[in-house]
Amino acid sequence: MITPVLLAALALVLTGPAPALLARSSWPYRIPRAAVALWQAIAIAAILAALGAGISLSYSTAGRPGEPSFDPTSIRDLLAAAILALTALVLVKLLWVAGRVAIGTRARRKRHRDLVDVLATPDGLIPGLRVLSEETPLAYCLPALRGSRVVVSVGALERLDESELHAVLAHEQAHLRARHDLVLEAFTALHEAFPRWVRSEVALEQARTLVELLADDDARRRNGPGPLARALVALAGAPAPAAGLAAATSATVLRVQRLADPEPRYPLLSGATYAVAVGLLVLPTVTVAAPILTAIVDAVS
Amino acid sequence: MEQLWASPGALTVREVHERLSATRELAYTTVMTVLDRLAKKKLTERERDGKAWRYRAAAPREDLAVELMRDALDRAGDRREALVRFVGQVSDEEADLLREALARLEEKAG
Repeated sequence: MITPVLLAALALVLTGPAPALLARSSWPYRIPRAAVALWQAIAIAAILAALGAGISLSYSTAGRPGEPSFDPTSIRDLLAAAILALTALVLVKLLWVAGRVAIGTRARRKRHRDLVDVLATPDGLIPGLRVLSEETPLAYCLPALRGSRVVVSVGALERLDESELHAVLAHEQAHLRARHDLVLEAFTALHEAFPRWVRSEVALEQARTLVELLADDDARRRNGPGPLARALVALAGAPAPAAGLAAATSATVLRVQRLADPEPRYPLLSGATYAVAVGLLVLPTVTVAAPILTAIVDAVS
Repeated sequence: MEQLWASPGALTVREVHERLSATRELAYTTVMTVLDRLAKKKLTERERDGKAWRYRAAAPREDLAVELMRDALDRAGDRREALVRFVGQVSDEEADLLREALARLEEKAG
């Protein structure tokens, strides 16, 4: 009876206090790569623990697996079946939302790409580059398995010199290469799978910032910190024709301040973070798998 | 697409081909394929005219540009991560912080 309680507690900690604490800390920004891994581990471990709690609760109610003793007249067995069904329902809901987000994102992106392709002019500087004749300074990428696009507006080109433009393009190409959009998509799906009253923006917000930092680091290694920082300031500080579209405002300040310092290395901190991430994945998996494995071993011997 | 936007009425493939041929060499079938593809993407509308299709732009260029910008600036109310912007706009206060950090960087580099 102790396993389901432990797993349920783990799931609760991983969905509530842990993300809240992590999102308010500043150390993840020092080690963006390890921090993204930790966030992913937390998310997966929370799902595994929640599902595991359901599965092991049904075991401990109706007996171990490998002992087919289901008795439809026994309330205990019916309860176990109900718990198992509820667990399956959670899983189905998760998959359903993930599918909906994936389809919705792709539909929106495809429409956007169609529009870009008829409105913007191709530019040979890098593959997939399109120049949009708009005064608003804009630079973004449209990720795709094939035919991804990097879109830059004329307004942005006017504000950037050549090295700054290269820094922006290197940043966007880093996003495309590493498929950061898939990381964000997973967090979006998870975010939407939760009922509106429990979910919070914090995890998604930090994940967004972390992938920006990853792309910044990539661009910094290619072109140095100077051009990238100047490009960020030039595009973010430009007077916007329509105000109030600030998305991740404080993140921009963080990004530039980060570039002002030499590239940080925190081997210990990132090592520890990776270790915690692995631990989080192993713990619920082993706990759930253990009774099944024992049953198999028992059945064989 | 430019030719369809420039024309007040719907055009057949032949008409579009004629207009484009004035400036560049293009195969008739290429024009046909492109127009067909644009129709599938719902960027053009087409209607039967005898044996040929007549194409017209589904929306004026300006409308599509507005749609694109709304989407790019994430003002369509869709929270999905369809595109990843390089940077958003910041407030005046934050712009000051940005310039400060940049000055620090330039100083070190300088």
